[in-house]
Amino acid sequence: MKIELNISTELINEIALCKHQTISEKAGAVVTFSGIVRAQEGESQISAINYESFDEMAEHQFKLIFSEINERWPIESIRLIHRIGIVKVNEASLWVEVISCHRKEAFAACQYLINEMKSRVPIWKKIINK
Amino acid sequence: MKNAENKSYQIFKTAHSNIYSMKIKVRFWSYFSDLTGCKQTSIEVDQGITLGQLHEKVCDKFLELKAAKNSTLKVVNVDYQDSNFVLSDGDEVSLFPPVQGG
Repeated sequence: MKIELNISTELINEIALCKHQTISEKAGAVVTFSGIVRAQEGESQISAINYESFDEMAEHQFKLIFSEINERWPIESIRLIHRIGIVKVNEASLWVEVISCHRKEAFAACQYLINEMKSRVPIWKKIINK
Repeated sequence: MKNAENKSYQIFKTAHSNIYSMKIKVRFWSYFSDLTGCKQTSIEVDQGITLGQLHEKVCDKFLELKAAKNSTLKVVNVDYQDSNFVLSDGDEVSLFPPVQGG
């Protein structure tokens, strides 16, 4: 399984990412997910979220999750980008792409990856109010 | 004794016993660093101390962390560990609230 992981302060450019997509002849499913910063967080109207990451541990935990996915589903590749620093409303904080032969495992792996990330990967939000 | 140049700890024998003490580096993440007023500290402990016992000492030093004690995630180097984990020379501990990625 091919992996690309990037924890970065740079804007997520989905068009550029799709242009650099590599798919084998066996692949039949590409699942992508974008997590976007909402204008409302709880009761508050916000302007942005400042993401903080414990980078070394975050990379390690992501790799553990990728390894678990590799054992459970026949996935061809995963690309994941998580932004850190200030991410404004309507901008993507997370982008995930999972490629496999069939959609079932691609959806399942994508869901598993995001769920596990949210419980294990050391990244935190600090709300920036309007 | 290991080469201490690149380590965040020191180990030394006490004058009156065979118990060794060591300094463990503790890092605070997310709003825990706001509560403590620092990103990291070091705590002198006896060899054989568990992660849970160290956490107690940290909460005694930084009382602001006590309210979040039960929900605190405890990490040694880059792996989550439970309270019974026995710390070793050179371990680096991180304490933080539940994660919120995505």
